[in-house]
Amino acid sequence: MKRMLQIFIQAMAILFVSVVHAQVRTVSGTVTAKEDGQPLSGVTVLIKGTSQGGNTDENGQFTITVPEDARELEFRYIGYLSQTVAISTAGMLNVALEADANELSEVVVVGYTAKQVSKLSSSVSVVSGEKLRDVTSNDVSSMLQGKAPGVIVSSPSGDPNATPSVTIRGSSSITAGSEPLYVVDGIIGGTANPNDIESMTVLKDAAATGLYGSRAGNGVIIITTKSGKAGKTQVNVNATTGFNNASMGNFQVMNSQQLYDYHKTFFTPQDFATQRPASLLETNTNWHDLAFRTGMTQNYLVSVSGGSERTQVYVSGNFYDEEGTVRHSGNRTYNLRANVTQSLSNKLKLTVRLDGSYRNTETEASGNYGAIIGSTRNLPWDNPFNPDGSIKMGTEEGWLGRERDNFLHGWQFNFDNGRRMATTGDVKLDYTIVEGLTFSTNNRVSISNHRDQLYYDVRAKAGIGLGQLTESSAFSRGLITSNRLLYNKSFGVHNVSAIAVYEAEKNYMEENSVLGQGFVPGLHVMGAASQIQSQGADNGNAFENAFSKGLVQVDYNYDNRYYVVGSYINEASSRFGANNRSGNFYTIGGSWILSNEAFMSDQLLFNLLKLRASYGETGNAEIENYQTLGLYSFSAQYAGNSASIPSQLANDDLTWEKAKTTNFGLDVSLFNRISLNVDLYQKTSAALLLNVQLPYTSGFTSIIRNVGSVRNRGLEINLNTQNFTGEFKWETNFNISFNKNKVLRLDQDRDIVADDGFSPPKIIRIGEDMNSFYMRKWAGVDPANGDPLWEKITTNENGQQVISTTNVLSDATPQIVGTYSPKFTGGMNNTFSYKAVTLSAFFNFVSGNSVYNGSRQSYDSDGAYETVNTMVLADGWSRWEKEGDVATHPKSVFGGNKNSNRVSSRYLEDGSYLRLRNVRLSYELPADFLKRIKVANARVFVSGDNLLTFTDFSGMDPEVNLDVDGGESSNRYPISKKVLFGINIGL
Amino acid sequence: MEKMKFTIGKKIGFAFFLSVITLMACDKNLQPFDSKTDKQALGTPEDLQTATYGAYAGLVHADYTRFQHILSEYPGDNVALSGTTTDPLYNVYNYTDFPGNNITTSFWRQAYKVIFSANQIIEHINEGESEVLDQLQGENRYLRSMAHFDLVRFFGRPYAQGASENPGVVIADRTDGDPLPTRSRVSEVYDFIIADLLKAAEQMRISKDSRYASKEVAYALLSRIYLYAGQLDKAIEYADLVINSGRYQLVETAAYKTYFRPVPESNPETIFAIRHTIADNRLKGAIGSMYYNDPVTQSTGWGEIYASMDYINLLNKYPEDARHSFIELQLDANGDTLKRGNVPKFYINKYNWQENIANLSSPVYLRLAEMYLIRAEANAKLGNDQLALDDVNVIRQRAGLSGSALYQLGDLKGHESVLDVVLEELRLELAFEGHRAGDLFRNNRPLVRAYPGFHSLDRYNQTINPTDARVVFFLPDREVQINPNLEQNP
Repeated sequence: MKRMLQIFIQAMAILFVSVVHAQVRTVSGTVTAKEDGQPLSGVTVLIKGTSQGGNTDENGQFTITVPEDARELEFRYIGYLSQTVAISTAGMLNVALEADANELSEVVVVGYTAKQVSKLSSSVSVVSGEKLRDVTSNDVSSMLQGKAPGVIVSSPSGDPNATPSVTIRGSSSITAGSEPLYVVDGIIGGTANPNDIESMTVLKDAAATGLYGSRAGNGVIIITTKSGKAGKTQVNVNATTGFNNASMGNFQVMNSQQLYDYHKTFFTPQDFATQRPASLLETNTNWHDLAFRTGMTQNYLVSVSGGSERTQVYVSGNFYDEEGTVRHSGNRTYNLRANVTQSLSNKLKLTVRLDGSYRNTETEASGNYGAIIGSTRNLPWDNPFNPDGSIKMGTEEGWLGRERDNFLHGWQFNFDNGRRMATTGDVKLDYTIVEGLTFSTNNRVSISNHRDQLYYDVRAKAGIGLGQLTESSAFSRGLITSNRLLYNKSFGVHNVSAIAVYEAEKNYMEENSVLGQGFVPGLHVMGAASQIQSQGADNGNAFENAFSKGLVQVDYNYDNRYYVVGSYINEASSRFGANNRSGNFYTIGGSWILSNEAFMSDQLLFNLLKLRASYGETGNAEIENYQTLGLYSFSAQYAGNSASIPSQLANDDLTWEKAKTTNFGLDVSLFNRISLNVDLYQKTSAALLLNVQLPYTSGFTSIIRNVGSVRNRGLEINLNTQNFTGEFKWETNFNISFNKNKVLRLDQDRDIVADDGFSPPKIIRIGEDMNSFYMRKWAGVDPANGDPLWEKITTNENGQQVISTTNVLSDATPQIVGTYSPKFTGGMNNTFSYKAVTLSAFFNFVSGNSVYNGSRQSYDSDGAYETVNTMVLADGWSRWEKEGDVATHPKSVFGGNKNSNRVSSRYLEDGSYLRLRNVRLSYELPADFLKRIKVANARVFVSGDNLLTFTDFSGMDPEVNLDVDGGESSNRYPISKKVLFGINIGL
Repeated sequence: MEKMKFTIGKKIGFAFFLSVITLMACDKNLQPFDSKTDKQALGTPEDLQTATYGAYAGLVHADYTRFQHILSEYPGDNVALSGTTTDPLYNVYNYTDFPGNNITTSFWRQAYKVIFSANQIIEHINEGESEVLDQLQGENRYLRSMAHFDLVRFFGRPYAQGASENPGVVIADRTDGDPLPTRSRVSEVYDFIIADLLKAAEQMRISKDSRYASKEVAYALLSRIYLYAGQLDKAIEYADLVINSGRYQLVETAAYKTYFRPVPESNPETIFAIRHTIADNRLKGAIGSMYYNDPVTQSTGWGEIYASMDYINLLNKYPEDARHSFIELQLDANGDTLKRGNVPKFYINKYNWQENIANLSSPVYLRLAEMYLIRAEANAKLGNDQLALDDVNVIRQRAGLSGSALYQLGDLKGHESVLDVVLEELRLELAFEGHRAGDLFRNNRPLVRAYPGFHSLDRYNQTINPTDARVVFFLPDREVQINPNLEQNP
């Protein structure tokens, strides 16, 4: 009734107006969204060809006055395709706008809410759908490598059971970890199988990460798992199978002849005649081939997704099996997930997500040094087999290799198996209190259980004549509840949304280990041990931590053109000192969508032009669980008596690290074919938790304090172009990020030197990159005598620094010689498609970092170790032989040449590389053929991982861990080149 | 109907929410499961005893036991390294130490940890409160002194070479000392140790076996330290106190052949040993692993360091010498000597087979035999030749030698002086127990290696003079960089 009156009055008004001002009239109508018929508020309605018009109200209705001669109205709304509609002379003009399927309208989960990307004021990267799944892996983070600017994923190991490390926008913490926070389905923590992931969103600046405040200092990766959709049930079957081969990069050890010739150059003639007879050349064992194999990978997934208006279900089962390239290593995982959403009433919705996985791992257990090291250290002159074909142990007389170990022998009897079960259950209730106000409670329980058995048989060398079994187990339980009040309201052109959250979390972990000895061959349960060896601290321990948090965020936009968002977070944790248990964090951000402005309404160039800025404070709590207490540890014993040892110095003031991030961003979309995102950021971390090194004379190695400040500054560019969009399509995505790291402040301005005698020494010094190497600087080889040379820096009488060279290692001056922070990293993806065939190629690159090639200390030792193998000199290397030679390598001397193989910048190499990470060719089977066999869609593909790497690095792989302990390449599980074949079927 | 659902839904939501909240204790004051705060750990006398066991456990730590052994024994001429190795023990062995050496760095660190443990306990005890607490304070003083002594003899030059000028080590006598301390002079360190040991001996009135410190243990260490410092009368005085205390006796010849197999507390000659239990078995990382590899299984140890040909020749002068039983020559199937590199495999078994476990041993730090030899050396230097030879002969008789195998004033068997006789007996008796290099440099003798081994380019000859820079080790690189007040050794 009321409606009728309104319309009548309006019609009267129009008539009246048209009578009084004959040149104008009024046009009214309603704008709705095409797919669901819901009214759209804030839609810009313009008189075509002018910048005059108005907006729709909260009911999607508009009324504007137009000149008599106006013919058309244009309707514009971000996320929807613009429409031009002829003004009809009949009363109402109702328009249905179609959603724009491109990225701008994509809705992403960010900070407890879901928003359209275009409406965000923060720096986020979204990777979803097909772009995620080109790489076949059972680890989530490896799917992100090179796909989001600023995100560096390093997988320095090809071990099927190893997990990569992830850093976002550079390392900003020294002690407290550089890993980002993972949020699965809106709740901190959680697990997800890569095949079940719908999309991943990376949050990088404070305005986005802020709501995860205290633990988001290193960025946040939000994972959203798939869910069912109302409508026809979809069944998907994916099968992938492939082969992996170890990639040794540029690293190669010598064969029989090469090693023989090399030893001849530095053995004395008498020794060479007796210890290296020519008969050695009859044996040329290829230890690499004995240790490695072509491994097979299989991945099978069946998923069912469907539902109705009130119920949506997604269920998937996955089987993943990867044989490692090192024999007797592998990983087999079974995963089951069920996501169910049920509307209990119009106002109440229940979501339950269950994820369970069961994994069996196998690690090679030859014992002693292991097969990976054995494959390069063992000498080609040692025959692993006896004349009768049986396998030697390596301890036989006549075995020349230093380790006296044949990994093939241990493989007959030993094993190292692990079993892991993890279950996560989420229960979520969303309750609409009134329109625009929702209460949501999200609760998760995660439980995991892990058991590992390492068995060395009495018949194997590692069994030391007894037989040995180590059983270790770990259990963890996490509980978290997150309760939110969400508010959403539009008042004309003003749109407000707000959330208030209270969250609490508690985690408990336990670990146990037992070592037993004295096993009859072939028995491997602890009950069969004749004696149990206690292991002290390793025997068992338990840990706990707890967090709680409250936060408020308010988000306001005016007319979809001006956006402001602000939030305040308070969080407390058991990990911090009694004086400083809680921390306050806040963020503020804003953006301006220029392309929605009236003055931009005519131009056809920009689909989107948006400026963003944000500032905020986030924290980092990734330290050990009890670091503030002064402690005595009771894991020791003396002569069978319980003993206590001072283990930690107290610090009640210990508190969160804080990072202040400023971010400026520009998002541009041109011609609907080019989209560019540019972000400029500065992140300053203060109150850095540092293991302040203490002199050992204090009785302690270090104490943890909040001192120190580090700054990361950088630029990220993400460019997406659709080069060709006709029948032949070509899309390019290019992203690159530059980051510069600088230490601003340290405890008492003192350098922090990390040198444990094993890893390459590093230094943290004010004014320098945090990840700097600190060692003696290699100055080449003396042409006169082949001596190694290092740089020595002294100060003369005038106070000037004098640089000279010396061949005495201890006289050389340790100095900063490089950093393992890259100058830039990024990736490029090109996708070509023609009709049903698609080809994509994805490169990732890292440049400007130094990597310490630690294995060269053994394999490039200038004659120091003649009972292990030596590496073949890389391209461009040369060995000094006679006076006057200008060479890269010193003279080889039996027993070593003046410590030339000790730690120095000699082994520091450029770690830059360009890698073809993935190539994929797929073919979409023709629809009519599929219809006949009742299949909705089907695709076959072949893909290759890591097929090409361009690098000068002389070691196995330039890709190394880039977090705080990183920068070093050593003898480890090589990465694999994979070729995979697969088929995806949708029923 | 709608209304009811509304209420139920709300109730479900609330109930769930509340239950989860209450399930989670919001208590943030969580305590570790395997540790206690220091206030709780040093409260009662029982706690202080437990903490004292912790100080001993600091010696059992591989960084102390193994590295103290390497740093004291490998620079000597009783051992021969049979091949190159990436392990920096190589540099310790052949006098090419470098400042970033993990062995010296870790030993320095662990020694100061033991000292800190002891200081904490010492500061928590008031003298005179009770016998038990006095005893504990005395034991900790002993441990503190022992660690300081090991530190100063590795990093400070030999006493006779200018103890009052030469830099020693940092004296850590309090838990809250100077954060950036300087090195005290060698003589200052010795003075500190001697004063501490004298006090300890006074305080320790309870009798404890050789796993722990007690009065005579302090006397024994004092005797050795006085000898190192050249205070010969004092050295004799304290050696006498130990020998005449009646607590110890030399193990008889037959049992001596397997001296190191029984546990220390059942060995009448051992004064102090670092007791390792089965749980402390370091397997291939044990001291015995470098010297011995079980011939049957061939896998218990590395077996890369052998008794030197020089030592073997010395031992072979008297085939009946019981000390032959500590050497196991490895032969091949034909009965020929096995070699590694150019070094004949003379396995050493002083660090094996405790409780029938291949590499388990409780290294002996002080035993009665040393007291006789300290007395002999001091007497020889004081001119009391007969007394010196008497003590040498006691040791030789115990080793199964008699008659013309013993020394007489007129028959020094080719030695130029009685001191030479004593030094040779020291070499024979205390071989592989970390004494040789110290004995030579204390007496201003050079270390001369003329035997196969990987100590020099020709793998045979090497001479190190007592004034050589590398007679002492570099201070850890890391310490010198963190603490600029520490002067590095040249």
